[in-house]
Amino acid sequence: MKALCIIRQAPDQEARVKVVGAQVDLDATTLALDGMDEYGIEQALRMNLNSVVVAVGPVRVETALRRALAMGVNRAVHVIADANLDVISIAGAVAAVARQEQPDFILTGGQQADSDTQALGAAVAEFLGWPQVTWTVSLSVEDGRATFTHDTDDGKEDGSCPLPAVFTTQQGLNEPRYPTLPNIMKAKSKELRKVNLDELGVAPGLVRTVNQVPADKPRLGRLLTGDPVEAANELVRLLHDEAKVI
Amino acid sequence: MSIQFKLTDEQLQLVSLAREFTRDRIIPAAAEHDRAESFPWPIIQEAAGLGLLNAGIPEAYGGLGLGMLDECLIGEELAYGCMGIYSILMASELGLTPIELAGSEEQKLRWLAPLVMQPKIAAFALSEPGNGSDAAAMSTRAVRDGQDWIINGSKMWITNGGLADLTVVFATTDPSGRAKSSVALVVEKDASGFSAHKIHGKLGQRAAQTAELTFENVRVPAANLLGEVGDGFKIAMRTLDRTRVPVAAGSVGIIRRALDESVRYAKERQAFGRLIGDFQGVSFKLADMKMRLETSRLITWQAAWLVDEGQPHSVPSAIAKAFASQAAFDSAAEAIQVFGGAGYVNDVPVEKLLRDAKLNMIYEGTNEIQRVVIARALLKN
Repeated sequence: MKALCIIRQAPDQEARVKVVGAQVDLDATTLALDGMDEYGIEQALRMNLNSVVVAVGPVRVETALRRALAMGVNRAVHVIADANLDVISIAGAVAAVARQEQPDFILTGGQQADSDTQALGAAVAEFLGWPQVTWTVSLSVEDGRATFTHDTDDGKEDGSCPLPAVFTTQQGLNEPRYPTLPNIMKAKSKELRKVNLDELGVAPGLVRTVNQVPADKPRLGRLLTGDPVEAANELVRLLHDEAKVI
Repeated sequence: MSIQFKLTDEQLQLVSLAREFTRDRIIPAAAEHDRAESFPWPIIQEAAGLGLLNAGIPEAYGGLGLGMLDECLIGEELAYGCMGIYSILMASELGLTPIELAGSEEQKLRWLAPLVMQPKIAAFALSEPGNGSDAAAMSTRAVRDGQDWIINGSKMWITNGGLADLTVVFATTDPSGRAKSSVALVVEKDASGFSAHKIHGKLGQRAAQTAELTFENVRVPAANLLGEVGDGFKIAMRTLDRTRVPVAAGSVGIIRRALDESVRYAKERQAFGRLIGDFQGVSFKLADMKMRLETSRLITWQAAWLVDEGQPHSVPSAIAKAFASQAAFDSAAEAIQVFGGAGYVNDVPVEKLLRDAKLNMIYEGTNEIQRVVIARALLKN
């Protein structure tokens, strides 16, 4: 069995981003392997599969690929492309790589931290004509079929589907490992194949970004006063109902 | 290329791993281990699983063979989270270094390889209740008895003491003979007559266990002698010349933490209707910390590079150790000043930085001894 993990390199969760001209300046920020994609890598590693990782993007994306290799993935494919390629074009490139690699299934994050879309997995599945399972929280494969649990708006849903298929990941699928030092050392001798977008027969994207404005949300600065028990209850209510963080 | 400061991709990944591990595991646990003087076994075990423990053991003995610069990169990150926890890993490398420097092939295979396989730590026992800086004045006796050595005496301030699977013990065959009569003997944890007593009430680095070791007719095989009789002191000094560099790296981590905490606070705390960072009195403290950070890191990297190149590094490592630890202490003190009253209590980590940094000025040779090393080199010939 073979798994293809799609990864993105996105600003680190603690990084500050700034806009230069009409674009977010990614070169001036700390970039990391998108956390949601790590669930896919971890899943492939736990299932002990032949695993390949693919990323579409500029030269710097290699750092994220190296991290995936250091986590334990067997090989990497780097599709060299412009940093601002739109998600549908990225999906086209990944689908072309998938046709070469012939994986049994594809794993990727349910949401991309940079573009904030949930389109990548869906678009890859569409290009390939494969079934797609979104927000996967458990996954096992046997006899050419996958059995899964995935999140829905109303709760969870169990199901099964034929392979090959695309699975997008969700928090709860697993706890991604750190790359270990021995694996970091080994990663440098693992294959990292580079391929240009045009070699895959994929046209550059048609979408052009005109302007980017980072959301600048002022702090509410709300003070809860009065009885501590009531204040604590109110805090819990606010965190749950308004901030939706608990 | 004559000089360059660019890290390799692997080194950037080491840094990234150590930084994440520090953020996720060390920082959340540091205050509690500091308060309770408790040994962070789960952290040490996980660090071992990631390859962060005893990472300098050469590849020939199953280790990763990390260089000194690699170790310093990792050390800065771990010490950023907790110097005490980093000291556990650092002291283990300190315990292994005499074996790496002076052990025979058979000894290296016997002792180094098992420390890679399992989360085990080592210790280095030089200081005694009656002597510290004057290391050659040791009174712990080693007497040859047939195919064994018999050790009697005690060792003081031993990091990882009582927890280490193996301890390199420096002793003398004749107290009047000073360095010429010194020996380095490897004592395993379960040796009969060997006991450890944890020292309580340390100012800082309280997660690391410091112990007094007692040897009562401890019998070790002659095969546990590193080098020859008379080599002990030399082995200890060569070890410390090398292992002072990670102490400096730990100090760099403390400075960076002091700076980061101070910058964060200066950008959110208001006084007189302005952010305190807008006042020159505060902002210059930040600038001073930044200068200390960059200079300390540069000399640490230089010393580490000399070690990796196999070049003489005694003076550079002494400079790095003394300068960076003083800079760490000064930066932590300034960080408390930036925080004011809030910095004086343990709700924020800056008071701990000060307590932890103080030890970096004392262990592995006090900063006064570092000056002796530097001055002697200047006045030689």
